[in-house]
Formats: sequence, structure tokens, C-alpha cells
Amino acid sequence: MVPLLEVHDLEVRYGKALAIEQVSLTVEAGEIVGVLGPNGAGKTTLLKAISRAVPARGGLTFKGEDVSALPVHEVVGRGICHCPEGRRLFPELTVRKNLELGAYLRRDRAEIAADMERVHTLFPVLRERGSQQASTLSGGEQQMVAIGRALMGRPALLLLDEPSVGIAHKLKMMIFGAIEQIRRDGTAVLVVEQDAVSTLGIVDRVYVLEHGRVVREGTAGALKDDDYIRQIYLGV
Amino acid sequence: MLQILVYGAVISAIYAMLSVGFTLIFGVARILNLAHGSFYALGAYAAYFLTSVAGLPLLPSAVLAVLFVAGFGVAMERFLVRPLRKSQLAVLMITLAVSLAVEQALLITFGSEYRNVPSFVADKVTVVGVDISGQRLLALVVSVLVLLGLWLFIQRTRLGAAILAISQDPEAARYMGIPTDRIFSTVMAISAGTAALAGVLVAPFLTVQPSMGLLPMVKAFAIVIVGGLGSIPGSIVASLMLGYSETIVAYLISSSWTELVSLVAIVVTLIIRPAGLFGRRAAF
Repeated sequence: MVPLLEVHDLEVRYGKALAIEQVSLTVEAGEIVGVLGPNGAGKTTLLKAISRAVPARGGLTFKGEDVSALPVHEVVGRGICHCPEGRRLFPELTVRKNLELGAYLRRDRAEIAADMERVHTLFPVLRERGSQQASTLSGGEQQMVAIGRALMGRPALLLLDEPSVGIAHKLKMMIFGAIEQIRRDGTAVLVVEQDAVSTLGIVDRVYVLEHGRVVREGTAGALKDDDYIRQIYLGV
Repeated sequence: MLQILVYGAVISAIYAMLSVGFTLIFGVARILNLAHGSFYALGAYAAYFLTSVAGLPLLPSAVLAVLFVAGFGVAMERFLVRPLRKSQLAVLMITLAVSLAVEQALLITFGSEYRNVPSFVADKVTVVGVDISGQRLLALVVSVLVLLGLWLFIQRTRLGAAILAISQDPEAARYMGIPTDRIFSTVMAISAGTAALAGVLVAPFLTVQPSMGLLPMVKAFAIVIVGGLGSIPGSIVASLMLGYSETIVAYLISSSWTELVSLVAIVVTLIIRPAGLFGRRAAF
């Protein structure tokens, strides 16, 4: 069985600086995989390399097909949707228009409407906020729009870049709950996070990235008992 | 008084059509296109060539002229601007080079003498008691319709939504699956096409000569600085302000003073409100 996503020996350079090197990972269909690591470890770069927003060397296979030379919009078309760091909403457009743009490549109107309904069920507050400008929402609500917008592309794999950063605890719990629901709906998730405790609570497997390299990998259960992880990331 | 109202509206509408295209390609693709005035001149010359040299009827000439210039703009963006996009300065230089090349090419091909393009509408018309040439009225009506159409296109269509998305966050737009390069070509076609249409519409009542693109370029520049670089509503409001100010100056003082208006407008805006009326941030 081929994994949904297979990243092999990925390397990204910004000018002469090495951002990530020798990074290999896999995501199976229906899995939630976490990437933990401190600031500057290369987590965001890794996600950008997977969605082809930055040039990278190495292997990138999705559903068994080589996607390492595709432009970003074709990667999206294949079923990888990227919810970027800092949410990156279209600030002057309404919440509804932001969500609709997530379905830009799709023509199946009925299915798009069904997905809009699904996003509204996942984040009910977005239904009320539909006609508001995105920039007027709170940070947590904006994060919901960003995740919802990525889901509107009906991805097989959702890339989430620090969804919980800068968000109040209650909303954070809600967003982690939503990630579990997204998986139950059949979408695999690759989530980059700094909050190790919450992340280990929902993921199946974790990769730990430091200085651009994978330093630990394993199931959530195994890493919770790893001394290094306990000391550095869980603080116990 | 009424004369100012009517004539000011015509000038404002032409300015609006010129500056909306100029601000649109900047807002979407961050191209500060100094060749925008060349599109206007090329439009007028294409209309002249097709009607007076090739002997085609007016309407097909106008359509062909606009399509030709739109194609020219797309080719310029694709082959000259796109390879240099990483540097704003290089983009500025290459578009300046294109504008000089176009002017020289027109000079070599058609000579420096003034050319005439026949009026689409020969009759004079009376509007609110003011006599106005049918051609000027046509220019006003067509400009307003084109701007309305453009607004509907941007607000209501999928492509329009993509244009708005790119202008607000180009990176996020790519994550939506929007093929940004293809959208740049579309916007360039719209931008060059509307500038050409402005040139076609004014050709019968303004002088058609090789450097005719320079002054409109300065005006478009002034308008987007006043209105806010990248803002379409801003450039429309600023077009009305500049168009009417110029008309008023021409009536009250002398038409030789009108060119000063746009320069004063630039200076005042940059001192008081560098981002322009509707700008999100200072453009420079």
C-alpha cells in the first residue's frame, strides 16, 4: 500500500542558508500526522515545499504520483490544500467569499454547496459571520475561516501551519476538536505545531524537526514516553 | 457652469478608463507599468491605420485596435516583465524602455505629423443645454459602460474573485489553486485593452502623434497617487477630481494651465496623505 504522501530526502535552501535537509516523512490516508519543533526549525518551510510554494530538491509523491515539479495550483488540484501560517485570509473580502475562493478549482456546484454546509457545521459561527469582512473577525474565528477555506478545496490531505498560535485556550480546544472531525470525514491532516501537549493528544504519529532535520519520529504514544520529548517539549 | 459639468465628465471618464487599468495591473501583479501611455497611443494609431490606411469600417477597426493592443500588452508582460518580476526597479526600467521603443516605432512608421481619425458620430448633440460633439459624448458613454462592466466582472465572476484575491494576498491566492501567472495575463489584457479603447475613442478629437501617450501617462500616474495605488474606487474618485479641476482651471484661467493641476495634485497628496485617498499604505 503506497502512502498518501511520501516526502523523500527533501532539501530547501534560501540563498545559501539551508532551511531543511534530508527530511523524509509519510502520511497515510486517514492519518493525522504532527510536526513539532521550535521556531525556525523549518516546519513552515517543510509545508511550503510540499505544496510547491518554495523550490525544493528531493522526492515528493502524492497518491503514488510524482508531484515534485508541479506548480502550486496543480498541487492544489491534486488534493493537497494548504492552510498557511498566519491564516492569510483575504482581509477585505467577506467570510463567505473567502470560503468560496477555497473551491476555486472546482466546478461541481452541488458538492461545493455540500462542503460549505459541512464547514458551517464544523464552525457554526462562520454562518453568522458570512457577510462580514474577514479582517473584522477575532483571531480564533479567522483561523476557522482559514481552515474552512482550505477544506472547501475538498483535499485528500490538509496541511495546517500552526493553527493554534495566538488563540485563546477555549477556541484552541475547539480547533483541535475540529481537526479530529476533519479526519473522521476522511481527510488526512499534516499539522505543524508548537503546542506539543495538545498536538500529541490528537495525532497518530509525530516527527520532531530541529535545525531543519528530523531528530525524532514515532507514534504519539511512544513519543509521550520519550525522555528527550518529555523534557524539551512537554516540560515534565 | 453646465459646460464645465459636461466637458468635465467626458475628461474624467477618459481619465478613469486610463487610470483604472494602470492601477489594476499594479494592484494585482505589482507592475508599475510606465508603458501604459503607449497602449493608449498604440490604440489611437491602430485605429488610424485600420480606418485611414487599410480602409476598414470604424467599428471593426476599433475592435481590432483594442484586441491588437491587448495582445501586445500580454506579450510584453509575458516576455519582458515576467522574467524581471523579482525587481520592482527592473520592471520600471523595462516598461519605460517599451514606452520609448513604441514612441520611436510610431515615429519611424507614421512620421511626426498629426494624423486624423474619423469621428464615429459626426453630429453635434445638445445635453442639458450644452452643445457637445457626438464623439465626446460617445467617449463618455462608452467609458462609463466599460467601467461598470469591469466592476461587475470583478465583483460577480469567478475570475474577478481571483483578481481580488491576488491583489489582497498573492501567496494565499496560490494556495487556493489560483493560477496567478494566467490571471496576470488576463489583467494585462484588460489593462492594455481599456487604455487602447481610451485612445481609440479620443483619437477623432485629439491629436494623434507619436508622443501622445506621455501626457495621459502623467495623468494616470497623478490619479493613482491621489486615489491610492492599487485602488480602483480611489482612481475613479481621483479621475473625477482631476478631470473637473482641469476643466475648471481651463475655463476660469486658461487651458495652458491645466497640465499644472495634476502635478500639484501629486505634490499635495504626497505631502498630506502619501497613501492616497483609498490607499492601504504609502506606495513609495
